[in-house]
Amino acid sequence: MFWHNFKYSIKTLARNKMLLFWTFAFPIILGTLFSMAFSGVENGEKLDIINIAIVESEYFNDDEIFNETFKNLSDENNESRLFNITYTDLDNSKQMLEDEKIVGYLEFKENDVDITVKSSGVNETILKLVVDEVISQKKMIETLITKEIENTISSGNFNVDYDQIYNNVINVIASSEANLNNISSDNLSYIMIEFYTLIAMAALYGGVISMFITNYKLANMSAVGKRTSITPIHKGSMLLGSLLASYFVQLIGMGLLFLYTIFVLNVDYGSNLLLVILLALVGSLAGLALGVFVATIFKTNENTKMGILIAFTMLCSFLSGMMGITMKYVVDKNIPILNIINPASMITDGFYSLYYYDTLDRFYFNLISLIIFSALMIFISYSGLRRQKYDSI
Amino acid sequence: MTVFKTFWKVIIKYKGTILLYTILLVVFGTLNMASNDTSTVFVDSKPNILIVNNDVYEGVTKNLIDYLQNNTNIVEVEDNEEARDDALFYRDVNYIIYINEGYRDDVLNGLNPVIDIKTTGDYQASLAQMILEKYIKVQNSYLADITDENELIAAINNNLEEESKIQINSTVDTATTSRLARYFNFASYSIMAAVIFIICLVLSSFHEKTVNKRIIISSMNYRKHNQLILTSSFLYSVIVWILYVVLGVILFGDALFNLRGFIYILNTFVFTFCALTIAILISTLVKNKDTVSGIVNVVALGSAFLCGAFVPTELLPDTVLNIAHVLPAYWYINSNELLANIEAINFNTLQPIFINSLVIIGFAILFIVINNIILKKKQIVG
Repeated sequence: MFWHNFKYSIKTLARNKMLLFWTFAFPIILGTLFSMAFSGVENGEKLDIINIAIVESEYFNDDEIFNETFKNLSDENNESRLFNITYTDLDNSKQMLEDEKIVGYLEFKENDVDITVKSSGVNETILKLVVDEVISQKKMIETLITKEIENTISSGNFNVDYDQIYNNVINVIASSEANLNNISSDNLSYIMIEFYTLIAMAALYGGVISMFITNYKLANMSAVGKRTSITPIHKGSMLLGSLLASYFVQLIGMGLLFLYTIFVLNVDYGSNLLLVILLALVGSLAGLALGVFVATIFKTNENTKMGILIAFTMLCSFLSGMMGITMKYVVDKNIPILNIINPASMITDGFYSLYYYDTLDRFYFNLISLIIFSALMIFISYSGLRRQKYDSI
Repeated sequence: MTVFKTFWKVIIKYKGTILLYTILLVVFGTLNMASNDTSTVFVDSKPNILIVNNDVYEGVTKNLIDYLQNNTNIVEVEDNEEARDDALFYRDVNYIIYINEGYRDDVLNGLNPVIDIKTTGDYQASLAQMILEKYIKVQNSYLADITDENELIAAINNNLEEESKIQINSTVDTATTSRLARYFNFASYSIMAAVIFIICLVLSSFHEKTVNKRIIISSMNYRKHNQLILTSSFLYSVIVWILYVVLGVILFGDALFNLRGFIYILNTFVFTFCALTIAILISTLVKNKDTVSGIVNVVALGSAFLCGAFVPTELLPDTVLNIAHVLPAYWYINSNELLANIEAINFNTLQPIFINSLVIIGFAILFIVINNIILKKKQIVG
């Protein structure tokens, strides 16, 4: 009887096209849209080569340090190239700034340089920072040379070799680079969170399937439910068969979504594939439990149940960052309890911890939270479902 | 009148959905409004950073931290590595600087100690790194000649306090206009969803088999019935348009009461009309309510994602934008962006916007034609 029920549940589910659209196709479509829309976002945030103009003048040509620095920073072979420079006259520079072809232009005067930009911004600040740095270097050279000369003279040597001192100072400055060591993780692509919330949403959407199949078994929901309720079959085994069938269908959908996101959309789930699968299995279980819960606890018609389930799923996905990744962080930081009890966030955070963290504590915390959530939902539904009797329907 | 009344009765049933899209518009269409203040005085951009100081807060270490505090935004995060890593991942901070134990002594001994950093690699992080590198470079250079700590600090600060002169040369207040553009860009999604979704649902109620049969045998002329339905749909779209314009006026006030604002409003009308024709076409193609919600979600979300209603167009890859050309929302959003950057509004500068509007009207006509062809075919079959 169990297998009979299992088989027919699968058949019923496979015939419901709308159900399959929302649980199978919709996440895939949404994922494709995410990938198309967000693929450029992170690259757009990288520092681009900044277009600037320098007003040609004798002051600029005479200023060796400025000349060298900007030549170096705009050299195409330089790995840390910062600028693309147009050398032109003042009117043209103004026009280019007006047309937003450049971020700003430099105008050299006697012992002075003016920067003109169109607005405040990061690129503008970088331009200013570079000019500041050159000014600071010039000052440094002056101070250091004076100091060197003083030192030479005070040591009793009046035969000062100016060239030698100048070269020394330039060498000192050139070898004064900071000693930075980058220890950040390679996996820093925050767009991934979008896809993790998508998986979370799909997992919870799976609840629609289990809700549909539970409604099918409830005497107060459908004619089929009435008929199956009066058969002399143990309700537990019948429900179990149906729910296993819905879990099975759900996992097929989840599998397709994973294959699609991994091979077509190039989503990175980190390196621990087994744990990724485990999380997907438990996440789907949470969706299933949620569906059964909504189906049994809310005594209302099918459409309202559907509305409740979808609204809850969307709210959870929203809080876990689907409509804006910052949302998850803001909630995590300020109202952590909200995301600790939010199943979508448990799933998202589980994938995130697999992707970003080397340790697994956080992952297991999320996994266990999900299991507790599912168990709780199933337990409540079970107590609601057992020994149901109807005086009239 | 019966048809007209029924139409509105069904619409009222879906007021929750309309409210939802309106709330989305208010929340997301205005999200970035707080930032980006306009000013004619240059303000340095300050990257968000975190400093983890494992050394004493004295001498050169203190001076480094003070310098960073003046030139960056120090973000408050819980004092553990996980919170810091989260903050970095979600771009709450762009750069984390770890000052190791013994930093001060190592600097004074001329060892150029290693500074561990974590970076998001974006332009904010590059800026933070430049600020840090600049400071360290000055410090290291002076160390060649100065060994006394106080003297060193004085020399560094003296050197760094010099700043270049920078001025802003701008004529339009692009911040306000781009906020307007952002609002109307997002409105393209709300309009599409609210107009197409609701009209399709309402029309599918009329198309329901039993209802439809009763309508057919009624004494009402079928032409008149159709006309009433179309008029009501049109009226509903106009109401949605007015609602979002009024909302815009509430949010932006004066910024809409000028020629630029007028063109924004007009453009939005053209787009709303196009959304209406899409709605009618979809409702002709699909009768089933469940299918309608599937199709509408895909159409509205798809065009919003691909055309730049959610993500600014300059961040979308070229291939996506090329695909987006076949969607009316692309032309509407393109007009919004253009309009935000026009300095002098006159016939010449408005030309591309007129062309965009013509394209949108072209789409609308196309949808109407397709709709009529399908209707005709269906009549013959029926």
